[in-house]
Amino acid sequence: MIRCRNCQANQMNGAIFCSECGESLLNVRPARETTASLNQQSSDMPVVVEDVPEETTPAPLLALNTISLVVINSGRRINLEAGEELLVGRKDNQRGIFPDVDLGLDGGYDAGVSRRHAIITPDHGAYLLEDLSSANGTFINGRRIAPQSPTPIQHGDELRFGTLILRFELN
Amino acid sequence: MAPGIQLRSTLSRSLLPDITEEQLVYVLLEVSAHGVPTNISKLPLNLCLVIDRSSSMRGERLQQVKDAANRIVDMLTDDDYLSLVTFNDRAEVVIPAQRPQHRPDLKRMISGIEAAGGTEMATGMALALQETQRPLMGRGVSRILLLTDGRTYGDEGRCVEIARRAQGRGVGLTALGIGGEWNEDLLETMSARENSRTQYITSAAEITQIFTDEVKRMHSVFAQDLQLRAEVRPGGMLRSLDRVRPFIATVPIVEEKDLLWTSSLGDWPGTDPQAFLLEVVVPPLPAGDHPLVRLTLRYSLPGANLMNQEGNLVLRIGVRPSANISYEVDATVRHWLERLVAYRLQAGAWQDVEAGRIEEATRRLQMAGTRLFEAGQIDLARTVQEEATRLSRSGQTSAEGRKRIKYGTRGLMQGEGMQEREV
Repeated sequence: MIRCRNCQANQMNGAIFCSECGESLLNVRPARETTASLNQQSSDMPVVVEDVPEETTPAPLLALNTISLVVINSGRRINLEAGEELLVGRKDNQRGIFPDVDLGLDGGYDAGVSRRHAIITPDHGAYLLEDLSSANGTFINGRRIAPQSPTPIQHGDELRFGTLILRFELN
Repeated sequence: MAPGIQLRSTLSRSLLPDITEEQLVYVLLEVSAHGVPTNISKLPLNLCLVIDRSSSMRGERLQQVKDAANRIVDMLTDDDYLSLVTFNDRAEVVIPAQRPQHRPDLKRMISGIEAAGGTEMATGMALALQETQRPLMGRGVSRILLLTDGRTYGDEGRCVEIARRAQGRGVGLTALGIGGEWNEDLLETMSARENSRTQYITSAAEITQIFTDEVKRMHSVFAQDLQLRAEVRPGGMLRSLDRVRPFIATVPIVEEKDLLWTSSLGDWPGTDPQAFLLEVVVPPLPAGDHPLVRLTLRYSLPGANLMNQEGNLVLRIGVRPSANISYEVDATVRHWLERLVAYRLQAGAWQDVEAGRIEEATRRLQMAGTRLFEAGQIDLARTVQEEATRLSRSGQTSAEGRKRIKYGTRGLMQGEGMQEREV
């Protein structure tokens, strides 16, 4: 599915103009929607992303099934609800892209993070990372993963989106 | 090689990524005559002119109509039939159906037509249907050419019913509206069949040209009973079919059985370039080359005594790993799609206006303007944007602007609509 940036209607991959409002869809890259980002359509606000600076507030006691992504160069810890697909990318209001993990806040644009870069999916207690044909690639511990092929990730793995490095933590 | 019709297709994208979702592909289907001798015997034409002679036609309009009718008398061959019906508060047969052998007599009858009274179309249409059924023709093209400049009151339902009866008997209708007062909803409903159409004439000076062009078109009909069949691979779907040349019109499709869609395309005047735009849903497919749709065009060439002919085309699609796929789309397909989208948007806008959704209608018109600009139809785009501004300011549209946009976006007007940009 792709989403029209003008009216937010979901459109089939390959659609050239939005069937609802007639907007051109040519520059909208198709990517899988996360269920989380679908829910955001109604509120128009990014949810899930919690910005808790490590040094001031230590990570609160978390329930067992949460995961965190720690941005290495800024130390920002992003705590996430587990159990849902999570889109990693950069927020773009105009195109209606609201990723669960918005790396635009961490210099994602300069680091080459795509708007819809990758997706983290729970898989029977474990997690899979899938690159969404991003422009600059997704890496696990320095190894580039093939686009659109979900690859398992473990606690402590170093994930790289473009040139932005994050640590994946299971709590 | 035997004469026939050839099919040619262009896909919006011929390579698709191997994703696990359905994808949409647009297909531009162009059909062209192949090996049809230029001297193929013309099909006889059975033409009935139905002329509004209400008082508003007085002056230049009626004079132009008479000139045009005289020109038609000269254009017809001795194998053709002509009849002429006029209507105001009542209707009369001015020229009963006959072969145009005594041309001076016919012209004398035409010159006697005078404008007076009101507009009652249905009786005129009824007489036209009666006259077109007099000639006994084994084969040929029957057509009613209706010209009106006003609204008919109280007999709209009958007009539509008579038009349907005529179309059901193979008599097509060309409905021409002149000026700003005529009822486009009525004429469009009357001509909402594959063998009929409505056209908008902005000034009396165009009447002769449009009349004679229409007779040329009808004389150039060489293929009849065109039917398109689309067999789609399992999991796929034909989402829509629209004619884009010579003018834009949605073509009704019927899902005859699982994965088989059919549609009637009517007669084919050889002077018209024919092109269609199909929206095809492609199911998820593994990397490789796959047949997607099998298109079959069935038709008859009565002039060459070739009935029940068939042309075939199998559309194939390549699927590749998504990393290797770019999102470039074919420019010609995009151009026609852009115009089709503009047409759909304005049609939606008028529905919104009817329902009182002014904001929604304004948005649609503005977007239609954008699409037209990008498709290179600058003048029409301006007309659309002016109308959008008028609508947002006053909540109303102008009758003339609406007609210009309706027929302009379809490519059914002299001037702006007809200039086809080749890409």
